[in-house]
Amino acid sequence: MRTLATLVRKDLRRRLVDPSKLLMNLAIPLVMAGMMALAFGGGGDNQRTPVLHLVVVNQDEGPIGRALGNAQQNPEAAGRMEIRQAKNRGEGLTMLREEEAAALILIPKNFSADLFDGKDVELEVVKNPAASIMPVIAQQGVEVAALYISIGARLLDGRGPRIAELFEGKGWNDPQAIAALVTELYDRVRGIDAFLIPPLIEVKTAERETGKEAGKDRPNFMIWMFPGVMIMGLLFTANTQMRDLLREGEIGTLRRQLTAPLGAVQVLIAKIVSVAAVVAIATVLLLLVGRWVFDVRWGPVVPLAAATAVIVLAATGFAALVFSLVRTERQGDAFGGVLVMLMSLLGGTFFPPQVVPSWMQGISRLTLTYWSHGILRDLAAGGGWDKIQRELSILLIIGLTLTLAGVLALRRRHLRGAL
Amino acid sequence: MTTPQESREVALRVADIRYAYGKTVAVDGVSFDVRPGEIFGLLGPNGAGKTTTISIVSGILPPASGQALIFGQDASGGSGKARARMGVVPQDIALYEELTAAENLRFWGRLYGLSGAGLEDAVRRSLDLVGLADRAKARVKTYSGGLKRRLNLAAGLVHSPDLLLLDEPTVGIDPQARLRILDVVRDQARSGRAVLYTSHYLEEAEQICGRLAIIDHGRVLAAGTVAELRRLVGEGPVVRIRGSIDGDGLKALAARCPGVSFLSADGDSASFAARDPDACSGLVRELFRSGLKLDDLRVQEPNLQSVFLKLTGRELRD
Repeated sequence: MRTLATLVRKDLRRRLVDPSKLLMNLAIPLVMAGMMALAFGGGGDNQRTPVLHLVVVNQDEGPIGRALGNAQQNPEAAGRMEIRQAKNRGEGLTMLREEEAAALILIPKNFSADLFDGKDVELEVVKNPAASIMPVIAQQGVEVAALYISIGARLLDGRGPRIAELFEGKGWNDPQAIAALVTELYDRVRGIDAFLIPPLIEVKTAERETGKEAGKDRPNFMIWMFPGVMIMGLLFTANTQMRDLLREGEIGTLRRQLTAPLGAVQVLIAKIVSVAAVVAIATVLLLLVGRWVFDVRWGPVVPLAAATAVIVLAATGFAALVFSLVRTERQGDAFGGVLVMLMSLLGGTFFPPQVVPSWMQGISRLTLTYWSHGILRDLAAGGGWDKIQRELSILLIIGLTLTLAGVLALRRRHLRGAL
Repeated sequence: MTTPQESREVALRVADIRYAYGKTVAVDGVSFDVRPGEIFGLLGPNGAGKTTTISIVSGILPPASGQALIFGQDASGGSGKARARMGVVPQDIALYEELTAAENLRFWGRLYGLSGAGLEDAVRRSLDLVGLADRAKARVKTYSGGLKRRLNLAAGLVHSPDLLLLDEPTVGIDPQARLRILDVVRDQARSGRAVLYTSHYLEEAEQICGRLAIIDHGRVLAAGTVAELRRLVGEGPVVRIRGSIDGDGLKALAARCPGVSFLSADGDSASFAARDPDACSGLVRELFRSGLKLDDLRVQEPNLQSVFLKLTGRELRD
């Protein structure tokens, strides 16, 4: 044990002298997680929903132009968008530039009338490239609105002027005509219900809470995303640390250790333990960052500690096996990197494994990333022992198998004189 | 097979060891003994099998056949006792550049069971021995090549081994650092340690080795003291020429000269051994008379270079 401690202490001391590589490894998953949080809006309690700022030039005097131009009066839309009216295109463009709105929407003259008459109409959207991702959201929102309006116009099939009159408050004194119109429209809608029902797009509404409790129960995207990115980072860290074994082989310190009164297996196990120690430190740091920066709550301490230990074992065993199969550090980087990316893709780092074909799902269950993600995601979602027990057992078996295979393969290389 | 009694008399006994990397035979039946207080040299060109021999002796590689006994114990069996009495200085500078000199020595000392005040004493003594006490706290990456070589030697000495295995410890360093290392090695032998010293530097081996073996293609071609090896080419002078030469013609020329034997022809160089100064004069006269276009002609005392030439037919170049 004393010799093992000496060997491990030496490796940790070397890492402390120059921790830049370790910090680089840790920075990669954090940067990825941060970028994803920015892009997809995951995050903690204090994160606010971004507001879509639009400028509208409404030259239509009809009901559709009015509805589009006053969309923010919808209570659901009120908190998510802010619409300012401009008199004409020039004023709209000036406001777009000066008020940093995401987009300018121009509703042309006679838009409603032409639409009810079945004519082709246009909506113009001018995007503000300086407003990050919001112009794209504005464009897509207008496209969706246009699609719905187009479907509505086709359903009217020449009855537009009559309906336009109703919007203008005319014709309400003829109940029979109104009833006939409604019946006709109802029959047309029933005729296409096979295409429309169930709807392709389902919109769920939720009441937004206010005050301190706001956002507490809002789903945090990072609960799903962060564990995946974290495991990927840990695998890269394990690989980077394990390459030191080949480096020691190259500079001759490994052979020199093997001339001392200690066994080859002892030397190899010490190297694996020192890599595991660094991966464990990295795991704890990433868990803390997940909690403090991305508001991922990891649940009870004991299951989390067990999960950490098993994940560290699996990541270290994986790296040991990778570096037992390659001859040079560069080969290890390339081979290990490809394997980590493959396992990350198959194991569900970037998208749920359930979305891939069933034969691929079988393969993804063979990856340690699949089980590692599962454990951490379950813990982050509030699960405890009962939820992670099975996944933890499977990952433990994978970890032990990888570590044993790695040690045996490395020992075999040593006996061939190749270390 | 050696008896335990015989084994106790020698620090290292290498008996008919063989090793091959795949189909390439690296060591082919090498045998020699090293006694306490003796520096035994393994002399040969790169790829001759010196490092593989050291690897087998130090227990890194198991021999395909034969055995290496360290104070009577098998080196390849992973015997802790045998290894604890041995200090290895590899050809590579096997040190951690991120650590300081003292940290490196502490690490290697701990692997051999040293600790506490004993370890600190050993570290200080080793650094003093190689003249690096004032650089103890400097990181190895700031050292020059010569300083690294000296520290590499200190790491092999930190636990005061009884048997020292030195694999080309002076490769690629300046003459001053080389002299320092050779002094330390001599001191170690004087203090009763057995030293196995491999080199491809002939002059160096001649200077410090009491006995040596010339090794090539994994085989020991000759072994003995420097004087015994020199006698293989005779007591008289050696004549070396360089120019436009014809090997067969020179053999015929040597045959015409009484007391002269042809040693080797390698490229544009050739060597002859003369029995005595008269035979040497006869050879020189015959060479000029033959009309050969010579760029250089030297008459030398026989040395290990001539021995190597005689044994292998080619020069051992630095």
